[in-house]
Parts: sequence; structure tokens; C-alpha cells
Amino acid sequence: MSETTVKPTPIIQMQGIHKSFGAVQALGDVNLKLYPGEVLGLVGDNSAGKSTLMKILTGAYHRDTGSVLVDGKATHFRNPHESRDSGIEMIYQDFALCGNMDVGQNIFLGRWPRRGPFVDRKTMYSEADKVLKRLKVDVNSVFQRVESLSGGRQQSVAIARAISFDPRVVILDEPTANLSVMATERLLETMLELKKHGVAQIIISHRLQDIFAVGDRVMVLKRGENVGDRFIAHTTEQEVLQIIVSGTPENALTAEQAVAEAA
Amino acid sequence: MTTVPSGPGRRPMQLIGGWEAGLAIMMVLLYVVGTILNPRFFGSADALMSLLRDSARYGVMAVGMTFVIANKDLDLSVGSTFGLVGVVFALVFNTAHFDMGVVPAIIACIVLGTIIGLTNGVLVTFLRVPAFIATLTMLFIGRGFILGLTGGQSILYPIKARDYQWFFNLGETNAWGFNNQIFIALAAVAIGAVVLAKTRWGYETFATGGNEQAAIYAGIPTRWVRIRAYLLSSWCATIAGLMAVAQDKGTSPQTGLMAELIVIAAVIIGGASILGGRGRIIGSYFGALLVFLINKVLRESWPITRTVEINGVEVQVQSTFTLPAGAVPAFIGILLIIAVLIEPYVIRRRVPERLWAKLRGLPPPPAADAGGVAIEGVQTKGAMASDMAYDARGIGKFFARRDALAITLATLLWVIGLALRPDYWWHLPNTFALLLNYTEVALIAVGLTYVIAAGDIDLSVGAVLALSGSVTAYALKVVGLDPGTAIVIGLCVGLLAGTINGVLTVMFGLPAFIATLGMFYMARGVASWITAGQQLTGWSEYFNVLGRKIGDILELYGLPDPGGFLGALADVVSVQTVWMILVAVIAGTVIGFMPYGQRLYATGGNRRAADYAGINTGRVRFFAFLFCALCASMAGLINIAYFRSFNPIAGQFRELDGIAAVIIGGGSIFGGYGTIIGALAGAGVITLIRALLQLNVEGFSMPQHWVNVFLGVILIIAVLIDIWVRQANIIGELRASLRIARRRKKEDANV
Repeated sequence: MSETTVKPTPIIQMQGIHKSFGAVQALGDVNLKLYPGEVLGLVGDNSAGKSTLMKILTGAYHRDTGSVLVDGKATHFRNPHESRDSGIEMIYQDFALCGNMDVGQNIFLGRWPRRGPFVDRKTMYSEADKVLKRLKVDVNSVFQRVESLSGGRQQSVAIARAISFDPRVVILDEPTANLSVMATERLLETMLELKKHGVAQIIISHRLQDIFAVGDRVMVLKRGENVGDRFIAHTTEQEVLQIIVSGTPENALTAEQAVAEAA
Repeated sequence: MTTVPSGPGRRPMQLIGGWEAGLAIMMVLLYVVGTILNPRFFGSADALMSLLRDSARYGVMAVGMTFVIANKDLDLSVGSTFGLVGVVFALVFNTAHFDMGVVPAIIACIVLGTIIGLTNGVLVTFLRVPAFIATLTMLFIGRGFILGLTGGQSILYPIKARDYQWFFNLGETNAWGFNNQIFIALAAVAIGAVVLAKTRWGYETFATGGNEQAAIYAGIPTRWVRIRAYLLSSWCATIAGLMAVAQDKGTSPQTGLMAELIVIAAVIIGGASILGGRGRIIGSYFGALLVFLINKVLRESWPITRTVEINGVEVQVQSTFTLPAGAVPAFIGILLIIAVLIEPYVIRRRVPERLWAKLRGLPPPPAADAGGVAIEGVQTKGAMASDMAYDARGIGKFFARRDALAITLATLLWVIGLALRPDYWWHLPNTFALLLNYTEVALIAVGLTYVIAAGDIDLSVGAVLALSGSVTAYALKVVGLDPGTAIVIGLCVGLLAGTINGVLTVMFGLPAFIATLGMFYMARGVASWITAGQQLTGWSEYFNVLGRKIGDILELYGLPDPGGFLGALADVVSVQTVWMILVAVIAGTVIGFMPYGQRLYATGGNRRAADYAGINTGRVRFFAFLFCALCASMAGLINIAYFRSFNPIAGQFRELDGIAAVIIGGGSIFGGYGTIIGALAGAGVITLIRALLQLNVEGFSMPQHWVNVFLGVILIIAVLIDIWVRQANIIGELRASLRIARRRKKEDANV
């Protein structure tokens, strides 16, 4: 395998993350690594701490202890805007779009280009169009209101918006949760397209088949702790399910260890 | 039975709790202070009885209101229902009208209460109109009916009432020495308390108010639960109205004025949450007693000793001091706001426990997650609007615009006016009069467009108009300031009101309708407080230039009339019109073409998404409130300049006109939409409707009160059109289904 030859610096490295809400410990000593261009599936039961971990990564929550390294440099994001500046984008489950505004306005939400004191509509729509074309998504026009689009297309707009920041890491929270089969297919294509552009992705999902369709590696969390990490190429849905159900932090293996053990 | 060790432990109390005990202690303290300060009034048992008697009616209304508020709804119409019951009773009963017995009169009142409750409930549930806008409109419509039916006169029937002692005794003192109304109130409280705390009806209410979606999933008929609460509220107002009838043996058009403020404040002080899901009837009743006690204390005249200098000798004079009328609503408005803030900022943050622990030197218990103090409910959105404009062509493109309705209607109404009065409708004086009325509505609508587009509402615009007008008039007349300074002061007062609105909604997170409702009463109260006993008229004509025609100004400065077309123009265009157009152009440019406008629409469309996108939504909303209040105070300055005096009723019903104008002009009550062109066209529609209704056609013209009733109906219709036609796109769906049917027909024909 090529992974064993040269090991690049991980684009994201979270080490020993702890987070408690009052008396409830949400995360205890969680580690996460993500390499450039890699697609990582983050799975686990409800309340396993997947979303909390991602919110700590984007700065929406603040960790109690532990470190987050981006490109090997320690960071302390105070809010999602700061992580955005480091090239980390999150696509929320409900897309976080303004339905009353059109596709172009949504892609540039909050940072509409301007000429003098006015919004530069010409630039805005032509740039938005370029982003949509680059992503090869099926949104017909940048002038359509977002609330008139179907769920899948709204998600395309959310992804296009994320892409327009030229991110290096995209986090997708339950991207296929409320999509039709067709829309899911298209989303998976879009994700492969993103991967081709070298964008690393983390997918939080309950649907293992989606992660197996596009992912490189899958990481399992259980009650706020790592219980296993596997390369998609070296595992099966069956095995991952088993880890989700009966894995413990004590017998957790990293993907590399699992490969070594199998060999 | 001794103990049950296996049970889940002692069940929590449902009917009463620590909050009620605190209220009781506070009332006793207030009463004791009142007795010490004014033994003549508070010292006797009679005084206590009269307090209990007068608060009984508010206590009864608070019972119904608790159900509504626990449902996460609001009923602003109770005060007008309360008053209207008296009027309807009088019309049926009084010798000069229908002259029937008490029973038909009571039945008529119950029917009225049922109609109002059902209307509120259906509007709010099935038709999805926001509760505050539906019931506020019902309030205005009810008040319009009261004035229209009574003609502003009291109706009294003490002689006929003697024949029906069994009913009118209900308002009198009984054999045990206390008033029957107290008994009725206690009975209503007891029944309400048990129903809300102990029965399925009550449990359904709390579930609906806590999480309506979850309640629907659990199979609770939430629409019926909410309609039921509105019916209860309106029946309680009916009972309260009948109690007042029994006591007064007559009615006055002032009855129940501002009762809704007292009742809502009472329920909130009684421990209910404006966010729904919390509330206890006994607490509400205690709240009603407390608010009424405060109301009474404020209205009471206090004996004071004044020192007067007569011929160089200081003489002590005994006299009394009474707060001016406007002070009471101002204080109760503040009380309402404070009461709403208690729940999220004191109770949820466990301030009393922490303070108590600190006093005893113990480590304080941890504060609840501060992030959890989200007082605002989730923004409720209307149905999905669909994009008709995108694929429409030609004339269809125009009608797909959200402001098409307003532009079409304005044109149509003007043509109707021309048809009704071809003799004078198009003349210059009429055009001038129309433009004058237009300016005030348009200025307010322009400001409201900002607030409504940001997803908020400002119910205080009419009151702020009056406040700025009164302060400016006071500065000009009583203080004797020059016009320039007075204008600056007037605008600053408006900005101050806007700042308070903004701080309460943005920083303290109050729902905009409740914060601005508080401001509505405060600003009106202060305005009538300032002007009490003053004749605010007759000041520098140079100030009045603001409300004059260009022609008049030329005359004032001794300039010649240009004559011809320019002369005609100078007779139609006034300074205020120019001012309004200037404001509208600036506001339109900002909202349409500048980033601030985009931020405004994004904030109103989806505040969370806008936050994620790095927009400071708090600042965006704050500026919208500021601008709206500024526009209202400009309208106030123009108003007093035009009339050359300040009239306390200035700006009345203007919040109704303004909101209706914005909604007709394409704004959405749920936020995210609204243009200045639309608002101007909407204001045109409102002005023309008012002008047309008051048009004298063959000797008949409609009185002002009925015009207000009609406009209330228009506002409701506009909101319904917005929700059901624009947002749910019913017309588009109809057209689509027609198209499908036509295609099928063609296919059938081809086969």
C-alpha cells in the first residue's frame, strides 16, 4: 500500500480531546487524524460524541483539554469563522441557508462582493455560476430562490457555498439523512469530485453503505471514546458494525495496526 | 396508611409553589407600605374588599389568558372583548335600543365571546396567522366597534336594572359582607386551577406549549387545544364584562381600555412563561391582584404638604399629588417587560439560590448552561414560497412580483375614487390632502419594512410618533427652544425609543412583539404624561414649515408665486412629501443595493444561517429598530408641524396602517421579504382606502371608527394573502393543476 511509503503530515490532528457538559462527559481522550485528500467516515451510535467532536474542530464548542493541530500547528478556534479562515468548512444537517434569497446570494451569504457601497451583483452571480459549474451540480440557475429547490438541490447549494471558500477540509453532518436515493447518488458523485480536487472530507453518517461507497477510512466512536479505526479497503460493513456494537476502547486498533494484524 | 417506601417519592405540588408564596409576601408588603403612607385609603377592611372586588374581573380574565399563554400563544383582544360585552349587553337590554330581558342580553354576550374566541383560534391555528398580529387586529376591530356602536357615549340603565335584581346583585355586596364578584372570581380560579393542573386538558395545554411538534406526534389535537384556550380566554373576558355590567348598570366606551396589558402582565408575573409550557392559575390570580394593587397605588392621590410663598412668607399647604393619567400605562408597560425578563434571567439562571448560598458563605450551585437561555422561540416560518418570478414572462412577470398586488390595488382604488367623485377627486386640493395622509403612513411603512424584513415587528411606531411629537411640542412651547434644537430633541427621543426596543429584543432576547408592545404602552403613557394639562399649540411658524406646502413657504418668506405648472406643483407638494421621498429613496437604495440590505434579508430569512455566515445579526436587527423608530419620530414632527399643535391621539392606529402597508406591499410577517417600492405602494393602498371610506358620496360618509374596523379586516386579509397565496403559492398550484388538466384533455382528444 502506498500509505506505508511516505507519510505526509496530517492536515488535521486532534489529540486527547476531553469535553464535559456539566457532570456529563461527552468526550474522553479522543484522537483523530485526517490526511490531505482523505475521506474519513465518522460513525457511532447516537450520543457517541461525533457531532461534539466536529463542533470542537470548527470552534463552535471549546474543548476542556487536548490539542487540535492544523497542518501540524496548534490552534485554538474560538468560533466557526476562525476555523473557516484555516480552510475548514462544515455543512450542517439543515444546510443553514436563507430560503428567501436566491442561489447566488446564498453562496455569498455574509460576504457579498461589493463595488463602492453597493453589492456587485454582476460579479456575485458570475462567480456563483462558476462555482456551480465546477462542482457539476444540477442547480439550473443562480437566480432561483433556495426555498423553491428540492432538498437535494438545497444541499448542492450548501456544498457549493462551502466550496467557494476553497476549503481544504469539508465536514458533512449527516449529509444523506433526508435525501432521496437519486439525490444520495448525486451527492456521492459530488463528494468524489471534491476528492479529485484534493479536498479532505469528514462524513458523519449512520449509513455505512454511503461511507463504504466514497470513504478511505472509517473511525468509530462510542460513548465519547475511540473504539476502532479501519481502512475501507481492508474491512467490511460487517466488521464496522461489530465495532459499533461491541467495540471497547481497550481493544481498539488503529487502521495501520488492523492492517498489520491482518497481514 | 403510613408510608409507601416503594413509590417514586413525594409528588411535586401542582397547584401552587414557591413563586406564589413570594407573590403573596410581596403583596402583603406593598399593602402594608400603602397603609402606612395613606391610612385613609388603605387602612380599612372596605379598602381591601374594594381592591378584591375591582381586581376580580382581571382575575377572571387572567384564568383564560393563562391557558392561552401556556399554549405559547397570546390574546391581546381580551380588553376589547371585555368592553364590547358591555356594549352588546347595553344594546340588547337598554330601553332605548332593543329593550329585551337580561337572559337574551347574556346569551348575546356569550355568542359574541364565542365568535371572538373562535375567530382568534381559527386565525392562529388553521390559517397560521401569528398570534400577536391576529389578536392585535381583533383588539383594534373590537375598539372600533365599541366606539362605532356607542358613538363614544356612555349607556346607563339603572332604572330598568331594578327589575332584574337577581342578575345585577352579582355586582353587589352580599349578605356575608363581601362582593359577589369576589366569589365569582374565586370560583373561576378554583375551576381553572384544577383543570390546568390536574386534568388531561391541562396536560395537553402544557404539551402543546412546550413542543407543539412533539405533541402532534403524540396524537394530541394541538389545533383544538389552542382554539379551546382562545375560547376560554374570550369566555372569561365575557364573564368579566358581565361582572362589570352588573356592577355599573351601564357601560362606557372606556371600559376595558388597556385591560389586556394588565392581564398579560398579571399572568407573566404569576409565573407563566411567554415561551409557553409553564403557568399556574393561582399564580396568575395573585399576579392580577399584585398588578391591580400597583395600578391602584399609582392612580391614588397622595396627601402631601407643599410650601407656598405668599407675600414673602412661607406657608405650608395641604394638598394631594396624583400622577398624571399617562404615567400608569407607562409603569405597567415597564412592569410587563421586567416580568418577561424574570423567567429567563432570574429563574433559569438560579439567581435566588446562588444569592442565598453566597449569603450563607456556601459555594454557589452551578448556574444553568447560560447558552440555554434562549428566550426566543424558534422562528416559525410560513409555508415554502415558490419561485414564480423565475419562469414567468411578460405581464406574468409583473404579477409574480410580491409587490404587484399593492401597485395594482393602489391604481384601482384611485380609479374607483375618480368614478365615485369625478367632480373633485382629481383636483389639486384633494391630491394635496391625499399626499398629506400618505406621507405619515408611508414614512412609518418605510421604517417598518426594515424591521419586518429582519424578521421582527415593531408595534410601537404609532406611540413613538406621539412621543416624539409631544416632546417636540413641549420643547417648542413650554421650554421655548428654537425649532432646530426642538427637531433634534424630537428625533433623539425617537432614537431612544428605538434603542430600548433594540436592546430588549437583541440583547435581552425578548420576542420583538412583547418588547415593542411594552414600548407601545410606555411611549403613549409618557406622551400623555408630558402633555397632561398643557395646551401644546402656537409656536414658531418656522417650525411649522415642515408641514406646509411649498406655496405657503414661498408666501412665508415673501417670495413670488411662480405661477403656471410650477405654481400648481407648489400647491400640491409640501415639505413633508419631499422629506418622505428623500427618506424613501435613501432607504430603498440601502435595502436594495447595499450589503446592509442583503444582510437584512439574510437575517430575516434564516437567522442561524446568517450567523454562521459571519453576519452580525444582532447589529443588523438593532439598526432596523433604530431606523424604524427614527422614521416614526420624523412622522411625529411632521404631524405636529402640519396641525400646528400636538393632539394626544396622534399616531393612533398607525401601527395597524404601517404593518398592513408593508404586508400588502410584499413583506412577509415571517421576515425575509419587503421592498421600499412595495411599502410605498402599500401605504398608497391604505391611504386611498381611508380616503375612499371617508368620501362623501351622496351625503353619506363613514365615521372614523368604522374605518378603523375596516382597516383591521384589511390587515388580516393582507396577512392571510401573504401566508396562503404568496408563501404557499395556492394560485401557482391552481394554475399548474389547470395546465395538467388541459394537457390531459388534449391527450384524450388525440387518442
